[in-house]
Amino acid sequence: MELEERARDSADNCIACTSCIAVCPVTKANPDYRGPKLVGPAHNRMHFSDESDYEDSLKLCSNCKNCDITCPNGVSVATLNMLERAKYYKAHPEKHTQADQMLSHNFQMADMLKSIPFGRTCANIGMSIGEAMGMMGAMGIAPQRKSPRFATKYFRELYKEIKQPEGLTKEVLFFPGCFIDVNDPEVGVAFVKVMNANGYKVLMDDRFKCCGSPLVVGGYLDEARSHADNNVAIINEYAAKNIPVIACCTSCSLMLKAEYTELFAQEEMAQAAKNVYDAFEFLTILAEKGELKKVHVSSDKKFIYHAPCHLRAQGMGMPAVDLLKEIGVNIDSADAGCCGMSGSYGFHKENYETSMKIGSELFDKINASGAHKVVCDCGTCREQIKHGTNAKTTHPIQVLAKAYEQ
Amino acid sequence: MSKSDVVVIGNGFAGLMSALVSADQGKKVTLLSYGAGTFPLNSGVIDVLGYDDSGKAVANPAQAVSAVADEHPYKKIGTQALEESVKFFQDVVAAEGFPYVGSLNEQQWLVTGVGTLKPSCLVPESMQGSKCFEASEIVLVGIKGLKDYYVDMVAENLAKELGNDKKYTVVTVDPHYQGARDLTTKDVASWMDTEAGYADFVSQVKGNAGAGKVILVPQILGLKGNVVYKKIVAELGCPVVETTAMPPSVNGLRLRDVLLSALKKKGITVIENAKAEEAVIEGSKAVAVKAGGEVRLQTYNADKFIVATGGFYSGGITMRDFGEAKEVVFGLPVECDCVEERWVNKQLFSDKKQTFAKTGVRVDATLRGVNESGNVVLENVYVAGRNLSGYDFCFEHSGNGVALASAYKAAKA
Repeated sequence: MELEERARDSADNCIACTSCIAVCPVTKANPDYRGPKLVGPAHNRMHFSDESDYEDSLKLCSNCKNCDITCPNGVSVATLNMLERAKYYKAHPEKHTQADQMLSHNFQMADMLKSIPFGRTCANIGMSIGEAMGMMGAMGIAPQRKSPRFATKYFRELYKEIKQPEGLTKEVLFFPGCFIDVNDPEVGVAFVKVMNANGYKVLMDDRFKCCGSPLVVGGYLDEARSHADNNVAIINEYAAKNIPVIACCTSCSLMLKAEYTELFAQEEMAQAAKNVYDAFEFLTILAEKGELKKVHVSSDKKFIYHAPCHLRAQGMGMPAVDLLKEIGVNIDSADAGCCGMSGSYGFHKENYETSMKIGSELFDKINASGAHKVVCDCGTCREQIKHGTNAKTTHPIQVLAKAYEQ
Repeated sequence: MSKSDVVVIGNGFAGLMSALVSADQGKKVTLLSYGAGTFPLNSGVIDVLGYDDSGKAVANPAQAVSAVADEHPYKKIGTQALEESVKFFQDVVAAEGFPYVGSLNEQQWLVTGVGTLKPSCLVPESMQGSKCFEASEIVLVGIKGLKDYYVDMVAENLAKELGNDKKYTVVTVDPHYQGARDLTTKDVASWMDTEAGYADFVSQVKGNAGAGKVILVPQILGLKGNVVYKKIVAELGCPVVETTAMPPSVNGLRLRDVLLSALKKKGITVIENAKAEEAVIEGSKAVAVKAGGEVRLQTYNADKFIVATGGFYSGGITMRDFGEAKEVVFGLPVECDCVEERWVNKQLFSDKKQTFAKTGVRVDATLRGVNESGNVVLENVYVAGRNLSGYDFCFEHSGNGVALASAYKAAKA
């Protein structure tokens, strides 16, 4: 059922105050980008009669959400940009590049490789050769980057091998998201350890599809809608059984909690959102109830934290940092804004320079911090940090799992 | 979220100052932010009182403040808190390497982005328009492609203000801008932050600098405090003055960055994108505020709350039906002269205040909301900034002054 309040109507709350332009990381790094308010909200309100009349710089928005965070009037600026982008590609499907297709559909590639014997190993070797020979650029992927490798076992496979303790009465459903599932499954393993230690059995549901975030930024809105409908139905099924759904990736959790409803305005999406938690949001709730396993870290190893923009947009502060500090971890937030990667954005060849310019403040802070590891909830932020600094990175759930082991 | 001593709601100048003063008192502070406040929009200068009730220019803000009407927030705040707040602010920004000049006993003069003069009380070193008064020649720098800055108009208007016995020279600097969009002052300021941009600018202006001259530029002297200002004054060997500007305001952003840096040093927790939606009240006290989150509100417990949500302009006060004005978080009593014939003064630039602008929370001298009989409604909830009733900051030029002094008093209480 369609909701009465829709994100696209929020364009009328835009008073064109320019705050979004003042903080937009892409505007700062790239003088060709006209800035958030002139792309989504303004275009949306102009209702151009000619379907082909779209703002060229629309494709430069990274959907990082800093405009939403800055907007004093609650306009879903970035989502308006994405809706306009989707309209553009609907009118001009021929404008989709090979890189758009690949970067938005990594989940298809991941599934295909899993079905072929040694598919992942071959793909990884292929990527190494491709990168060495400079073939990535020809496909529209930034040749300077190392693409994330496919894990030899995805999390969905590792999960089946994990022996969770008997007799756990409470249950949560894990939404691993593509990056953790196929590129960084150890994060999922750490999540299971942490939840088990707190008396929760972790469930998986293989019917889940990619949250759709890469599809939305690629302009494949209809596909994203089908993913949303699929995932929302599953989340609501578990809601009926009082089983919460938890994500460790902050872009996935933002999608499930907020963006589905903003983009598609369906009642069942708003309903499902209530059953979705970010991992540290959930753990903080446990801590507030006095139900979180107590642990104290005595090591003074220094960590620096990068808050993903898609976490900041969730309006709940930085629960991972607060919780890790609480147990004695020596960790401080870098407070250096966007890393510049924004999911698949920085992987596009034409966005590489912008992406690295945006990240430079964060890179400088990390390099100057003397921290032994960078902690960050987002997989692609971690890729960007590794690329921009050579620092070691980890997900906060891995830090907590390690603390539990000691 | 563990309990704080003080929760400040609001991310504008009043909110950030409330948080800083509270932390300076040794309190554990959490600040709930929603939007960037007015920093990207205002010039980051502190107007205390530019014009009195009759619209007459104020020469001595301290004196004029002591003579305001009873309904005015300054009357409730008192001159002592105002004086202390000014000192506190000047200490904070100076410690961050971004000093503000001025005092309560005189006005500073700003050159606006259209070449008129405007009084203010505390201004950054780079915006001291009074330096133009003594100069024999004003060199006005325009930037090729800069949006909303018409240097010839600035020259013409400034000549009307300062007289034709001075020489007015216009120089246009080419920033060699390649981008597809209109150039803003923020873009030029970023360019000035680069070594190459700075050198390019200086090379195009230097020939016009010299003794007895003032170089007048739009708000472009870098985004990082007064770094570029200090460098360029030394290099050009004569005063350099920035005008006020159209948004995005470079100096507003500088001030915001400087204050946020001070907040971080004080260990103040800032929760972004957390719109305060409702309060938890027990008896005559608030115990928590629920805020933020797309899906579920987070609860922020505290002993004390400061509401700096920006009044009508920023959604701190709403009025869905005429006459039904509402303070949105705590439901504090709002007073306004809600009579349709008096609500709006259609002569926008006349010598009368706007009734709607004076709408705000009715407070007593402690800055706590009071009902019509003058009794405090919630004993641990204080109000700062544009939420206060009884003044029209546009008319009298007192916006950041009231914000600063009320923030200080609310935090000290």
